[in-house]
Amino acid sequence: MTSGPDMPFFWAALLSYLAGTVVASLYAGLRKRPLRSAVYWLTVAGLAANTVALVVRGVQQGHPPIANLFEYLSLLAWAAVLGFVLLWRRRGLELLTVFAAPVGLCAMVVASLFPARIEEQLIPALQSYWLWVHVSLAVLGEAAFAVAFVASVIYLVGSRRGFSGLPDPELLDRVTYRAIGIGFPLFTIGALFAGAVWAQRAWGSAWSWDPKETSSLIVWLIYAIYLHARLVRGWRGAGAAGLSVAGFAMTFFTILGSRILGGLHSYG
Amino acid sequence: MNPRTVAAAVVAAAPIVLVVLPGFRRWLASMRTGIRLLALVAGVSVLGVLVGQGLPADAYVARYGHAVGTFLVISGIADIFRTPYFGVLLELLALSIIVCSLGRIRRLFRAPERGLAASAGSLLSHLSIVVILAGGLLSAVTGFRYAPPIYLAAGESLTVSEGGFTVRVDAARTEFSGSGVVSEYVSDVTVLEGGRELRSERVEVNRPLVHRGIGVYQYEMLPSATSVREVVIGVLPSGAEGRTAPAEWRGPIGREIAVAGTDLSLKVLEFLGDFTYDIENRTAALKSVRHANPAVLVQVTRAGRVIGERWLFPALRGHPDDDIPYRLALLDYAPDFENGLTRFEISRQPGTHLLYAGFAALSLGLCLIFWTRVPSARGPRDEVTR
Repeated sequence: MTSGPDMPFFWAALLSYLAGTVVASLYAGLRKRPLRSAVYWLTVAGLAANTVALVVRGVQQGHPPIANLFEYLSLLAWAAVLGFVLLWRRRGLELLTVFAAPVGLCAMVVASLFPARIEEQLIPALQSYWLWVHVSLAVLGEAAFAVAFVASVIYLVGSRRGFSGLPDPELLDRVTYRAIGIGFPLFTIGALFAGAVWAQRAWGSAWSWDPKETSSLIVWLIYAIYLHARLVRGWRGAGAAGLSVAGFAMTFFTILGSRILGGLHSYG
Repeated sequence: MNPRTVAAAVVAAAPIVLVVLPGFRRWLASMRTGIRLLALVAGVSVLGVLVGQGLPADAYVARYGHAVGTFLVISGIADIFRTPYFGVLLELLALSIIVCSLGRIRRLFRAPERGLAASAGSLLSHLSIVVILAGGLLSAVTGFRYAPPIYLAAGESLTVSEGGFTVRVDAARTEFSGSGVVSEYVSDVTVLEGGRELRSERVEVNRPLVHRGIGVYQYEMLPSATSVREVVIGVLPSGAEGRTAPAEWRGPIGREIAVAGTDLSLKVLEFLGDFTYDIENRTAALKSVRHANPAVLVQVTRAGRVIGERWLFPALRGHPDDDIPYRLALLDYAPDFENGLTRFEISRQPGTHLLYAGFAALSLGLCLIFWTRVPSARGPRDEVTR
């Protein structure tokens, strides 16, 4: 149980995201095209280092790096940044995509607060192939929610303060909806379905109203409300964006909540 | 009232109410009602997350004070997911989905608004929620789960009366990897029926034993509460505190070993992982199976003569009246993981397959809605039903 060879890459990723965040702030104020290119390359460099860190860690441990909060948040940073990078060339979303670096930075900083020990031996509870299905799909869903969250925050800032030069609200609204449309099925399959199957096998009950299970259900309900209101009633605007922000706030609480509230999931 | 009774009553009454009260049916079918019910379930769930669930009543009084703690217990908030009102809330949600889905079926065959795949996915995902809730209800009404936790040592048995069989623990141990990290909790068990041995199994975490539809799940493994592999005792002459470090004595239970540099010999007679004193019987006893207050009973011999027995705890203690001119303490011990106490969860959840089917349908339905062709998300504002 020692810090492994992945850590230099982890810190390189964190520093790249930090530098990207600084330059992104300059870009938000000055809107100079070279600054945006600089953000892009710093973000891509951070993503590359983040990828190497995860791969090295997985190889070193002999199992995918999804067994504790440090690894989970590193993976969440990777998936969320990848989501933003995929949107990079989309016209009209210049300001949204530069948020890749701050999102990656936040997740990596929080990850750095947790023990980063290399654990070659998984604890008995985690020795199941359901771990890979459950965690990897849940984290991908949450990464999509992170993209929706940033789009919603920019929407809300633009609608309240009347900033000029922000992306078209209609486009932000669509990005929010599409990101949630991608994340919601992934989260349902990974966090709820695979989680229930695994819980039944490990604990003898598919659902125990454990704090993390219940928090995940609340996340699911918030996004279900968003999608119903949006899809059927055409509800959009600040209310929908606010719901998306609430959904991601609950998502973040779900990730970290078991540290505070305990329960069956408190081994990360 | 028993939540199961309420649940059964609501399920039985629901079709009649829907037929007799068309206004209630319209209310259930409205989008606004559906969203409000989802929000209510979310709100109650938030309450359930923030207020720890299912703790003893004293724990709420200790945590929140007498007035609030008592209110949480009496109102059911302390066990909110098992209250009748939460059950009714879920059933209203299920009814709302069923009523709305009837309209969806009609629209699906008439003219799907968002493409056939998305419309079918929408119907599938909504009905799947009803299936999931039905699975949960079936498990709650006809299933069971043993409580409180049961800890068994090797040689002990547990009779599962619901299945007409007995589980005997042949061995209970914690296994370690080469680097000394816990790698597995293992219980070797034999299933007996009418005293006859039927099958022997190795039960591990994530690898339960299922017999007659009842699962025996390896939940936890504790080291033995009454034995240890080795004990480390600190020995310090009385009055030498702070001037010199205590001498360390090491040994297993039952062997007399001299303390280096003294005329003393020690022999550990007994170990208790969670020591308590039974005042009525005037004996030491085990309070729980956890190592919450470890203690060892030590026999002290000086110059070949037994001069006393004493319970030792982690702090150095002496006694002014006894004949032992030393302060002794239990410094450390090596737990006995070979002869552990296994904790099983015994449960039967008859609704599990229904639950899985519901989740599978929900997953498929959502993929059809959002991944075949992302809908335009511009539903008519005046639409009343989903």
